[in-house]
Amino acid sequence: MIEVTNMQKKFGRKKVLQGVSFTANKGEITCLIGVNGAGKTTILNAIMNLTPLNSGQVLMDGQLINKKSYEKITFIPDAITMLPQMRIKEAMQFMADFYKSWNQQRANEMISFFKLNKEDKISTLSKGNTAKVNLLLGLALDVDYILMDEPFSGIDIFSREQIADVFTSHLIEDRGVIITTHEINDIEHLIDKAILLGDGQVIKQFNAEEIREQEGKSVIDVMREVYIK
Amino acid sequence: MKMNLNTRDPVYVQVIRYFKEQIAKRLLEPGEEIPSRRELANKLKINPNTVQRAYKEMEGQGLIYTERNLPSRITKEEQILKAVREELILEAVESFISSVRSINVPIDEAVKLVKENYEEESNE
Amino acid sequence: MSNYLKLVNFELNRFIKLYMVLIGVTIVSQLVGAVLVSRRYLKDVNQAIYEDGMSQSSFIEQFGQFSFYDFGMSLWFVGPIALSIVVLLIYVFFIWYRDWFAKNTFIYRLLTLPTARLNVYLSKATTIFLMVLGLVALQLILIPIESRVLEWMVPLDFRNDLSLDQIIEQLHVMSVLIPQSILQFIRNFGIGFMSVFIVFTAILLERSFKWKGILLGILYGAFTIGLYVLPGVLESLISPGYFYQSEKFFIAIAMVVIISSLSIWLGRLLLKYKVTV
Repeated sequence: MIEVTNMQKKFGRKKVLQGVSFTANKGEITCLIGVNGAGKTTILNAIMNLTPLNSGQVLMDGQLINKKSYEKITFIPDAITMLPQMRIKEAMQFMADFYKSWNQQRANEMISFFKLNKEDKISTLSKGNTAKVNLLLGLALDVDYILMDEPFSGIDIFSREQIADVFTSHLIEDRGVIITTHEINDIEHLIDKAILLGDGQVIKQFNAEEIREQEGKSVIDVMREVYIK
Repeated sequence: MKMNLNTRDPVYVQVIRYFKEQIAKRLLEPGEEIPSRRELANKLKINPNTVQRAYKEMEGQGLIYTERNLPSRITKEEQILKAVREELILEAVESFISSVRSINVPIDEAVKLVKENYEEESNE
Repeated sequence: MSNYLKLVNFELNRFIKLYMVLIGVTIVSQLVGAVLVSRRYLKDVNQAIYEDGMSQSSFIEQFGQFSFYDFGMSLWFVGPIALSIVVLLIYVFFIWYRDWFAKNTFIYRLLTLPTARLNVYLSKATTIFLMVLGLVALQLILIPIESRVLEWMVPLDFRNDLSLDQIIEQLHVMSVLIPQSILQFIRNFGIGFMSVFIVFTAILLERSFKWKGILLGILYGAFTIGLYVLPGVLESLISPGYFYQSEKFFIAIAMVVIISSLSIWLGRLLLKYKVTV
């Protein structure tokens, strides 16, 4: 389980996060929802210890994030984090060199599922294919937790469908996923838990299936209630 | 396998309903193997945990059964299969009744119209 | 350790193309220069002796013999060295900033490797050092070859052959880069490495605190330079000539070690707790 407690972050005088707390379970897809600038990316960065917090704490399975944690949790940012001049196979080699948790068999599976060519240079890939390589580099790690920042934004509809397919496959199964989005449509039926952010705080968090069962509302219905008053 | 999901009903309920319809229509035969939870999640683009929940519920209702580590199958118990069919028919009838009632149609007239139209459609 | 070495290898590969260009430019420019500079000297000789009727001895008396020094002061020789120095100085900054500002922000990957972040810092520093040492070594190989070229080009009578030691001693740039004694070598390169550490840590201050960080970085630079010169300043204020030359040397080395350690320690803290992607 990932436990975020009272996360506070200021950029200059601007308070981006004002005491954000939530948990994300292993085996579940937790979705951080909020408009652009709501601090979604900052939360993911802070979980990964990629930006300092003014206060608050992040625990993964009860422990603070340290260098060993990166074999158990990985982050897939919204832009690819490999050098543009690298070929896909070189990028995979880089991952294999540094991560014990790298699973080449799984990487190969995704190469063929996404119909990518290992010899291609990252700089020559289309937006959709770049996003797929980015996803591949994260998902081929045998980690327990995966953070994804806006995996669907700015790419074509077919790539989106393929990426959504990944969420229901064994590539995600049994792992804990935290995903951010400002557009819920692509994944409404995929998520377990929704966390609505606004003004640097968690406005509401709920289980998507429970809210349908108990209140007969879709995730978007709840968002409408919360954001449009 | 094609299924239109809405966003307001619990997804697991929609999955169970889908199976009941297939069973009632005999598109799923008694004893037929059903997809694994991951396969179904992948086909329907829904969360595997949701499928898990639907299967558990169906197992509880006796709609499917699982032997050891084999894939789950549709039940062979006639009584349950019959009950599923009846449940769906009753549901349809109930919703029919509430629609006709809301526009104050006498039952005889309604039944007559039902008969005529049903036969007409079947002949086409 | 192995992650550190892998990172060094990785960082070297990222710069290798430009580095090869630097090496190529140096070799071509210096070898071509050796031929051209000695030819120009010969042209002057021919003009003076055959056209103006000067005697060999009076020419030498007036214009001097040709030595490596004449070539060593030419742009052909100094140019590529200056270019290399400038490129490497820029790269000391670029080696960090490229990870944040290039199209694909690689810093995300570097900071989420399952290894101490200090290794990222040290691997970048090591890369700079290896590049510098590589170019110095290249120069040490090139100078004897260029001497030989000059010997082929210019007749013995017009030549003043210098040994490698003499060449290095006469050319100021070389005497800094390749000092005569091992102790001087240690001190000069120690100061160089210390400067790289200071700049790295100043960069990380900027990366951690943005605008305020620029100020902090500059202050840190000023502070460390002040620290380095402090013993010398104190000596000259309190009691000039108090230290022996050898004592001064060891003080310098001690300051290099202290300031480098301080910079690495601070850099490690910043990378671990303060830096932001």
